[in-house]
Amino acid sequence: MWRVLSGSFALPTPDVMLGIGLALVCAAVPLATPSAYALSFLFTVFMYGALAGSWNIIGGYAGYLSFGHAAFFGLGAYTTALLLFYFGWSPFLTLPLAGAVAALFAALVGYPCLRLRGPYFSLVTLILGLAMYSLALNLPFTQGSTGLFLPFLKVDVYTSHIIFYEIMLALLVIVTAVLRQITHTKMGVGLAAIREDEDAAGTLGVDATRLKLQAFMLSAFLTGLVGGVYSYYKSYLDPSFVFATSISITIVLMALFGGRLTWYGPLVGAVTLSVVNEVLTTQAPPQTARIVFGALLIGVIMFLPDGLMSIAQRLLPTLVMRRAQHPAARDETAL
Amino acid sequence: MLKGINITKRFGGVTALRNVSFSVNAGELVGLIGPNGSGKSTLFSVISGFFPPDDGAVVFEGRDITGYPSHAVARLGIARTFQIVRPFTGMTVVENVRVGALYGRGERNVAAADRRARELIEFVGLGQHADTLARNLTLAEKKRLEIARALSIQPRLLLLDEVFAGLNPAEVRGAIDLIARIRREFGVTIIMVEHVLKALMETCERVIVLSYGEKIAEGAPAEIAADPHVISVYLGKAYAAG
Repeated sequence: MWRVLSGSFALPTPDVMLGIGLALVCAAVPLATPSAYALSFLFTVFMYGALAGSWNIIGGYAGYLSFGHAAFFGLGAYTTALLLFYFGWSPFLTLPLAGAVAALFAALVGYPCLRLRGPYFSLVTLILGLAMYSLALNLPFTQGSTGLFLPFLKVDVYTSHIIFYEIMLALLVIVTAVLRQITHTKMGVGLAAIREDEDAAGTLGVDATRLKLQAFMLSAFLTGLVGGVYSYYKSYLDPSFVFATSISITIVLMALFGGRLTWYGPLVGAVTLSVVNEVLTTQAPPQTARIVFGALLIGVIMFLPDGLMSIAQRLLPTLVMRRAQHPAARDETAL
Repeated sequence: MLKGINITKRFGGVTALRNVSFSVNAGELVGLIGPNGSGKSTLFSVISGFFPPDDGAVVFEGRDITGYPSHAVARLGIARTFQIVRPFTGMTVVENVRVGALYGRGERNVAAADRRARELIEFVGLGQHADTLARNLTLAEKKRLEIARALSIQPRLLLLDEVFAGLNPAEVRGAIDLIARIRREFGVTIIMVEHVLKALMETCERVIVLSYGEKIAEGAPAEIAADPHVISVYLGKAYAAG
């Protein structure tokens, strides 16, 4: 998997410079000693950005809309939480395990599920998320709906907010970098071909079964990492939140809203919808958030099926083309 | 180079192919004709690994490839086009062609695949459309794109499924020229399914005729055109007698 991901690294392009710049600014935010509320809000934005980005590898690039990513999120969350709860191992050290457990689960369920196409795949993944919820609720060692209380970091509350803020930001940067890198590699080309026409892709030598499974596992791995940090951040874990269908669906909507065909679309969607949601829930009368949220989504799905970013993509090339075509147009009038 | 041995394929109660055997030599251009529903496209699908035959075997360059999945068949060097064109409509022409250049038997990285794709696009005469979205091409252009995409895996055997269908006479002429150039420059063996018989007769060295899933004749185009059995299948018994 890593071989196909490692393309050639050229000099940083403008989008990379902009990304690095933004990340550095975000990393410096705690220096301005913002409120704990602001830190925790930004933590949530980064988390959803990372989740939507991870989802996009299978859901956007390969076109397999998973509605069960909460399963991977929850598995990651429970992996680090249980290891901390029973063995006292720090989640910061066991984090890779959270990703690995989610990826392993993706391999097991992906092999049969990824043979299904379109709505059938989506339905099965939706059920998968629900099944994981029931499982976590009923297994003895997860303590069911009582949940697990985890020990805090041994620092004051504000410092711990900053630590988690920086870690989630780092995860977001990693996910976004992976997402961008894929579009420049063999893997991205193959996934796009699968999304367009899986049978035709096969006749060109694309091993769709294998490639989809790799994408699903990579997506699950990254989602598991995010979950692994989340449980420690919350310091309390119960199945109804980490395995919630609402998480699965929110991730999908964010990616679709921003645009699932680009590497930055899911991030834009996550930021936009998180801010809209936060502003409306705190400032507007109750339920306004839900109504506006719904209306926005209907609007985007009806008028911009490829997401918000498709406007930018449509406008930019037209502007460039117009400039390029200008001399040609002049020649025509000369004739 | 390619051998089909007693290939049988059934779909439910319908036998689409019955005991079809044939062989194609390296460098040949073989035509495959027959009325609608005679099993031509099914035979292509069996060879290219879309579905396995119920009975019989496909042997390519001495290797039994019966039941190989389509990506494995492609990597061995068998490319196909589709009767109803299936370009990746949301991608540009270059993006379409680089898929096979990367995943077939060729390039290792995306930049090299792009270069290779542009050469092929130039070769099939789509140079000025390299960065056009495939969905905005005309039918004739889409057919050329299918051919470029098939060539991108560096095939040794090319299966062309009705590349002339739906084209006007001038476009058919262009396509015939293109096929001649493909043979000259790539030295690739070709099997082509065709309904435009005139075009087929002047391009192919040998023709195989299918009817109701069975091979009913095989030979040089002139012989086939004079074969009473073939004439009766196409035009009815009255013509065969006259």
